[in-house]
Parts: sequence; structure tokens; C-alpha cells
Amino acid sequence: MAENAALEGLLARTALGDRNAFAELYRATSSKLFAVSLRIVRERPLAEEVLQDSFVNIWRRSSDYAAARSAPLTWMTAIVRNRSLDIVRRTREEPDVDDALATNLADESAAPARDAETRQQSHSIQQCLEELDAEQRQTIALAFFHGLTHSELAAHLKKPLGTVKTHVRRGLAKLRDCLMAKGVQ
Amino acid sequence: MKLSREAREALAAEFALGTLRGRARARFESMRASDRALAETVARWETAINPLAQGVAAVEPPARVWRAIEARVAPPRPGISSYWRPFAIVAGGMATVLLAFLLWTFQVPGGEPDFVAVLTAPDNVPRMVVSMNQPGTLKVRMVKPWKAKEGMGLELWVMPKDGKPRSLGMVKNEMGETVMRMAHEDPRVSNAVAFAVSMEPMAGSPTGQPTGPVLCSGSIAPVRSA
Repeated sequence: MAENAALEGLLARTALGDRNAFAELYRATSSKLFAVSLRIVRERPLAEEVLQDSFVNIWRRSSDYAAARSAPLTWMTAIVRNRSLDIVRRTREEPDVDDALATNLADESAAPARDAETRQQSHSIQQCLEELDAEQRQTIALAFFHGLTHSELAAHLKKPLGTVKTHVRRGLAKLRDCLMAKGVQ
Repeated sequence: MKLSREAREALAAEFALGTLRGRARARFESMRASDRALAETVARWETAINPLAQGVAAVEPPARVWRAIEARVAPPRPGISSYWRPFAIVAGGMATVLLAFLLWTFQVPGGEPDFVAVLTAPDNVPRMVVSMNQPGTLKVRMVKPWKAKEGMGLELWVMPKDGKPRSLGMVKNEMGETVMRMAHEDPRVSNAVAFAVSMEPMAGSPTGQPTGPVLCSGSIAPVRSA
């Protein structure tokens, strides 16, 4: 994954209609973003549609990026996750979930981010997640990686809906306190 | 709907996490669009949570995805039917014709320019021409001005080979020329590859980077090798 500053430059040039910069931005980020979407929508044709729509959106909204005040990958990930959550179709009763990812918070084969700033950010959130109760952590990780709704979380974890909602709410509140203490939030 | 601070924070968090769904998500999104503080709260949560996505192992998407994206962001071509096609070729060739014409008209005192860039709008129509002339002046010639918009002006950007665009200042939105003094070895232009113009507040972009829509852009055609 390219460095933050390089991605910022590519986004800024994309905002000025530079197609080569846009192509480079796609090359640098699409495999990660495709994987993020695939975890949520689960079917490749849907993930392809998400990636396509998201990059058309990134092209059109790249001039808003300067005002977004977030890291380029954070901004692009938000666009991809949003689109994934919009079009996810659940045909199966039981969502097909990778519990290992939710437990370890990372795929074994995922290479750590190369640049220090991105690594630091992902390190902070991982550390804070590890400070949560096991149940809260698992619930939040499943929601993030797989885009499960409250009721899908309840079905998967075999817990009452109310309990799951409490885990999410309390987990997020604790997460915020921890991230604030680290100066991330 | 008036929400308490706590409720806004909690909704923003569940929105970023993805557990806020369906109609509640749609409602929240429309609130966010008109509520700057709420948008910032969401951005703060996204900044905190989204780095988790780094943990997912990359999957290469098939090549057809990029081809489809390219087709969707391509500038609209005037004329799909065969009847319109000759006009489309004229529009596409217009920038080249204009460039040739300008090179010809530059054969006047002051000499031929070092480089010329014809900036075209997304519909391929040439709108401005930027040229670097001896001795050390950058000329911006308006071909076709835009409808004036209250409090807004045109900001000229130069794109270096690497890195972010840099502002060259505001240019007039009227027929005629804006002339800027600029040394040939000025780092802003010496390794420039393209120019673009965006719509910004009269005082210039508040962020130092383009924030408004890009009205026209074009790459540099060298005329004389230095």
C-alpha cells in the first residue's frame, strides 16, 4: 500500500481531472478496497459493482477530499464500506462469517501497512479493541469486517438481540475512551 | 429532529461501524449532509475505525472493473449517431486547431512561447490557454469565460510531475489576458506537466488545495526545448 502523502498527491491531482493520477490511485488501492467490500457483500459480482461505483464516486468527489481532513485511505474505505452496506443482499439465513478474522482482527496473510502513520493508526484501534471484553470485541469486529446487522450478529452469536445491541453500544463507548486517551479520537 | 450530544455520538459511531442500517441509515445520511458538526463526528469515527481494514488480505479485482470505471468517467462525447459524428470530430480536434492557431499568432514581438497548454472543459471545448513567454511571463488567455457566480472566482493550478497541485493565483473570468511574472526556472513551472482551473472563493481556496469544481484542464505542449 502506498504511503499517505503519495495517495494525497494522487487524490489532489485526480480532483483536477488528471486521469493518469486516477489510474495510479486505483492501482495502489483497489486490491485492498476490493477485499474490504468482498468481506461484506461476499459475492464477487456484487463486490465488483461496489468497487466500480466507489471509484466513479471517488473521481467525482475527489475535490471534496481536501475538506474531509482524513487520511486518503480512510476516506476511500468509508466510500467503499458505505456502498457495500447499501447494496449487500443477504440470501442466506446464516451469514458466512470468518471468525478467525474477527478474533485476530487481521488476516494472517495481510501484510502490515508500509508507512508508519497508517501502521500507527491501525495499531491504535487494534490495541483498543484488545482492551474490550472478548464478547464486545468479537461483536464489533464481526460488524466491521462483515457488515453484519444487529440481528445477524444476534443469530451468528446465538445471543438475544438486546444483549448484542448492548455489546455494540458499550464496546463503542469504551473504544472511544481508549482512542481518546491515545489521542486518536 | 433534535438529538442529544450522546445520541449524535452513538449514531455516528454505529454509522461508521456499519450497524446503523436500512431507513435509519438513510435518515442519518441525509442529516449528515446538512449538519457539518455531525459530518465531522462521523469522520472522526471513520478515522478511528477504518484503519482496521488494513488487516484484510488484499484481493486483486478483475481487469474489467477498471475498464468499466474508465468508461464511466470518460468525458461525454458529443454525437453517438452517425449523423453527429463529424461534429464530434470537429469538437475533439478543436483544441489542436486552436493550439496551431495560437502558435501562429504568437509569432509576434516577444517571440514564440516555451510551452503552451490549452485547457479544455469536460465537454472538450477549449476555454483557456496558458503559455510561458520570454522574458519570464506566464500568460493566461481566456477563450470563453464562464457565467459569473457571486463571490466566486477562478484559481489557476499547476500540476508538477509528482506531488500536489500548487496554486498560481486567481485569474480573471473575462475575455483578455492575465499576465503573471514568473521566472523560467521557478520550481512551480519548471517541472509542471499540466494546468487546471477550479472555481474558488474570491480570496482563493481556503485549504490551499482545489476545493471547487474543476472547470478546465490541459497538459503542457512544449514548443521550444530550453
